[in-house]
Amino acid sequence: MAEPGANRTPVNAGAMRISTSPRQDAWRRLKKNKAAMFGLAVLAVLAVLSLLAPWITPYSYSAQDLELGPSPPSPEHWLGSDLFGRDLLTRMLYGSRISLAVGFIATAVALFIGVSWGATAGYLGGRVDTIMMRIVDVLYALPFTIFIILLMVVFGSNIILLFLAIGAVEWLTMARIVRGQVLHVKQKDFVEAAVSLGLSRFQIIRKHVIPNIMGTVIVYATLTVPNVILLESFLSFLGLGIQPPQSSWGLLISYGVETMEEYPWLLIFPATVLSVTLFSLNFLGDGLRDALSER
Amino acid sequence: MITGNALKAVLSAAFLFIASCGFNYETNVESGTRQGILHIGNGDEPRELDPHVVTGRIESDLCLALLEGLVGWHPEGKRLIPAAAKSWEQSEDARTYRFHLREDAKWSNGDPVTAADFVYSWRRALLPALGNNYAYMLYYIRNAERFHQGEITDFSQVGITAPDDLTLVVELENPTPFFLQLLTHMSYYPVHQATVEAFGAADERGTRWTRPGNHVGNGPFKLKEWVLNRSIVVEKNEHYWDAGTVKLNQIVFYPIQNATTEERMFRAGQLHITNNMPVDKIAHYRQERPGALKIFPFFSTYYYLFNTTATPLDQVKVRQALTMSIDRQQIVDKITKAGEIPAFSYTPPDTNGYTATAQVRYDLERARALLAEAGYPDGTGFPGLELMYNTSEGHRRIAIAIQQMWKTNLNIDVTLTNQDWKVYLDKRDGKDYQVARAGWIGDYLDPNTFLDMYTTSSGNNDTGWSHRRYDALIARAGATTDQDRRFALFQDAESILMTELPIMPIYTYVSKSLVSPDVRGWRPNILDIHPFKYISLVPSADELSADDLSADDLSADDLSADDAD
Repeated sequence: MAEPGANRTPVNAGAMRISTSPRQDAWRRLKKNKAAMFGLAVLAVLAVLSLLAPWITPYSYSAQDLELGPSPPSPEHWLGSDLFGRDLLTRMLYGSRISLAVGFIATAVALFIGVSWGATAGYLGGRVDTIMMRIVDVLYALPFTIFIILLMVVFGSNIILLFLAIGAVEWLTMARIVRGQVLHVKQKDFVEAAVSLGLSRFQIIRKHVIPNIMGTVIVYATLTVPNVILLESFLSFLGLGIQPPQSSWGLLISYGVETMEEYPWLLIFPATVLSVTLFSLNFLGDGLRDALSER
Repeated sequence: MITGNALKAVLSAAFLFIASCGFNYETNVESGTRQGILHIGNGDEPRELDPHVVTGRIESDLCLALLEGLVGWHPEGKRLIPAAAKSWEQSEDARTYRFHLREDAKWSNGDPVTAADFVYSWRRALLPALGNNYAYMLYYIRNAERFHQGEITDFSQVGITAPDDLTLVVELENPTPFFLQLLTHMSYYPVHQATVEAFGAADERGTRWTRPGNHVGNGPFKLKEWVLNRSIVVEKNEHYWDAGTVKLNQIVFYPIQNATTEERMFRAGQLHITNNMPVDKIAHYRQERPGALKIFPFFSTYYYLFNTTATPLDQVKVRQALTMSIDRQQIVDKITKAGEIPAFSYTPPDTNGYTATAQVRYDLERARALLAEAGYPDGTGFPGLELMYNTSEGHRRIAIAIQQMWKTNLNIDVTLTNQDWKVYLDKRDGKDYQVARAGWIGDYLDPNTFLDMYTTSSGNNDTGWSHRRYDALIARAGATTDQDRRFALFQDAESILMTELPIMPIYTYVSKSLVSPDVRGWRPNILDIHPFKYISLVPSADELSADDLSADDLSADDLSADDAD
């Protein structure tokens, strides 16, 4: 195989050939990618299921049936029940609300801060770049768990803060990646063309630089989502995230691990759903990168 | 590129490597048994190693290795044996004890252990500024309480004297039938004066004297290494008077909070003895390795504390409603699952012949009525509660079950928070909680060890509850020698405790641990005390030792309170 990108068409060539916008163009290419569309479909289904949870299951996520205890999958409890006799399917459905929300919102926060920070530093360069990246280095050096614990101690433990706190930590790597990409992109002819046309720096960053680094950013973002979902379970386990009786995939998995030999279904089902979600995200991310970078 | 053949070669090489690791690798338990190093799970990181500061089980096991009181428990936990004292006499009126110390007893730096060391140590334990939570354990000694409360400052008035280097005379306030048992407790352990004072004042907490290299003790082992959150290593103390009995060369204590992790480490040969075991694994061990599984009744109560200084828990009716609305039977049957006994009173049943007659009930109707009388009919207007526990999956499960019981039965919303052991203890001490999980292990076989905790002056009363008549009853019981009369007073006191309910009993523990068949001299007992000096390691096959170790099954009846050699 030839190296990817070797046959890259000149910028905006596609847009000139066919009279569609670059965005429509990308969507058209994405639709052709079966794996990506599969990923998108899975994510959509999961999102809809999590929203419809109260109508799908007759059980409550918190009501216990200690007499029943942990039971394997059965016609009453399709995915079995946990140590307190709570329906696992129900807990997974309600848990997906938190996990998906944490995954996407925290990633969005990271994306927003990381891209703006990295792009600014990379494009402006010089002293500004040095100062901004040293700030990133300093934050990197802060032990992340301690940082989040500090945030939680100061502001108390609530779910919105959890989103922000995780996002506020995850943006660091994003900023570095973006900066590296921007350094590469800003030497391209089309940026010089934009400069000679008299566009402001902000316009160049927004209209020319960022769209051209989106491929890498999106792939990295899809890798951030699973990270964040697992991070939430870690924080919850420490008592900083969500608390019982609420559930999330990460928590279900960490509880499932405790009893994986006796009650394997408590681990298998949540872990499977998490894995499927991660695969879907990766497929979608790959598809998006291909679709976007084709321009 | 890797061709098919190359791939095969790489894979087989990798396989060989893994296989050879598997065959040659010696586990902790194998190498430990060979070298006399005991690997033991110890639950969590100790808060301190100072016997006059610490209160927890985690720390007391470490103190048991590093220090030695006048009297110790026989490894079977049934009777007391001489330790730092070789013999003693009791006066006719049972108020004065005269202890004779050993001539050959030495500290780990070679200094002799003298009666003056005990006088110094007990004075230190009572110094008001030290803030020893267990100071009340010494209140049985004449004037000790007044000294601790700061009413007298002249220690010579306290009933502890050393007529010569090897004689210690202790005068008691009242005849105390369990006094010798008290001496096995860490608050009566001696500390080395020169060492303590080299790093700070006698009444300064948390100085560096307990660090490796500084620590000096008189126990069978001495402190070698302390790596935070990793391990504490103690090694044989060659100056110990009975060093010939000590078989182990080293003990490595691991602060493992998670019982599942601990069980996995046990299975992988990383630990000889675990501190706990996951309930879900009990059935498996009963079937597959019954010799390694040690489950025995334990002189300890699992309960919740109510902070009675803040609303809504300052109302007795709220506390009663909460206590009546949990189904203890279901908790022990479905959550803890190791044969625990539901607790309806604070003292465990048959405490040296005492069983509380006052009991709390499981009565939902009454609970709802009480909550309504307290001003919260059907939970409306109830401000919500925060339930705090120290991080452990066992505590979490019980908390989740109780959270739901209160929600379903009383319509009360409870949030759960878990804290690291040290934070948890600090919050309890500072009454910075609403409901907190607690467990109390009897320090000696007498109802007093449970009941005197909730007197107003007790350093371990973290509930803010204070009841004059209760204090008076406990004091009167302390001044009574007749066992039946004492027990009658305790019954009255406990009935106050079980009506006022600053605490909510949940169940009586069983001790659960996994013990490698290599371990000898570890005897199950109701106090769950296992003096390390009698433990030895002998390589063995699983089957052999199963019979050897499960031979002696103890029940509470076998234990007599205070017979000593």
